[in-house]
Amino acid sequence: MDWTKQLGRYILVMVLQVLLFDQLQLLGVCHPYIYVLCLLMMPITLPHSVDMLIGAAVGLIMDIFCNSLGVHTAACIFIMFIRPYLLGAIVSDKDRLNEQISLHSIGMEALIKYVVILVLVHHLTVFSLAAWSWYHIGFVLLETLVSSLITILIIIGYNALRYR
Amino acid sequence: MQTLLKILVRYSNFLVFIALEVAAFLLLSWNNVYPRSSLLSTANNVVAWQHQQISEIKAYFSLRTQNELLAAENAELRNQICSMDSAKTGDAIHYVPAKVVQMTTNELHNYLTINRGSKDGIQRGQGIRNEDGVVGIVRTVGRNYSVVLPVINTHTNLSCRFAKNDYIGTLQWDGKDSRFAQLTDVAAHMVVNPGDTIITSGLSPVFPEGIPVGIVENSILKEGDSYYTIRVRLYTNFKRLKYVEVVQNAAQQELEELENGLD
Repeated sequence: MDWTKQLGRYILVMVLQVLLFDQLQLLGVCHPYIYVLCLLMMPITLPHSVDMLIGAAVGLIMDIFCNSLGVHTAACIFIMFIRPYLLGAIVSDKDRLNEQISLHSIGMEALIKYVVILVLVHHLTVFSLAAWSWYHIGFVLLETLVSSLITILIIIGYNALRYR
Repeated sequence: MQTLLKILVRYSNFLVFIALEVAAFLLLSWNNVYPRSSLLSTANNVVAWQHQQISEIKAYFSLRTQNELLAAENAELRNQICSMDSAKTGDAIHYVPAKVVQMTTNELHNYLTINRGSKDGIQRGQGIRNEDGVVGIVRTVGRNYSVVLPVINTHTNLSCRFAKNDYIGTLQWDGKDSRFAQLTDVAAHMVVNPGDTIITSGLSPVFPEGIPVGIVENSILKEGDSYYTIRVRLYTNFKRLKYVEVVQNAAQQELEELENGLD
């Protein structure tokens, strides 16, 4: 595992997130958080608690840029917590998880399941914590669906281009 | 004790998860209740700098809307000035902002098209100006668009005068350079200096008196001629024309009917 490469991707994706995707304002419901790509693609080699700490750090940085202290942090910790269990359930060959989680390592079907579930969970957490009330539930669900769709397409598309 | 330690080790990941989430929710609630920490928000220098750069880049994309707003505001302010003036002179002049959608500048018969038509009250013969000076005269009116005969068309004649002493001349264009027009019919006994200001005369109802036209670039009086040939540098930059205003003179129709009645 090449950690400088991993770190480079973190920086690149988060810069893209802040400079490009945070600026998108399509109908007010489209806020794709593509930065989860870095978290999702991390191999399962580090201890679980370290994974969650990395998630917390990434979430905190995003929160500072989005002025939403705690929201992304909570969502990132949560997806980093459920990630190994989810991968364990979807992927049968456990050796596969020692390398980068990608189209190449776990295959298209597992990748789609994995990305769709985690992105939906992450976006739903982010939007409902940001709304912080049941009153906006319809809008939160719509926002989650639209934004997740974009994020999922971008992550799967990135994998399809990079590892075909 | 042994059992407790075993349980702690066994569920350590879950405990870390709970601890981190509790911290995140503390941050969240703290952020909702108390004034934000400047370090952990967009008030942070680095973050604020990045947001400022972004908003400066984004400002370029809204320039068009901003321009339209400013053009509308200009027309509105001019209307207010006019209503103050008309209280004195009795003229009622109204300005309608318009945008140039098409324009040529390098032909003999240049035309421009504006995005206002009969539904906005535009009529043939109304004047067009921008913030710098005169632009032209409405020639053909459609429902949503109108074609304008600009000063830089060889068919155009515009009655003008010197700002310094009320001598009248006719502004025409020789078809060569969109920056210059020619003032004719100025008698030889008058003294013309480069830099003299030319304004509209107000003799035709198209333009009210005193709208800037240009300044004298040079003047030629040939031996034996009784009229000057004066080259006027136009205030309006036709190469960069984007927003204009239609001059609507409430008395225009009445004046034209009166003039037609004389024939």
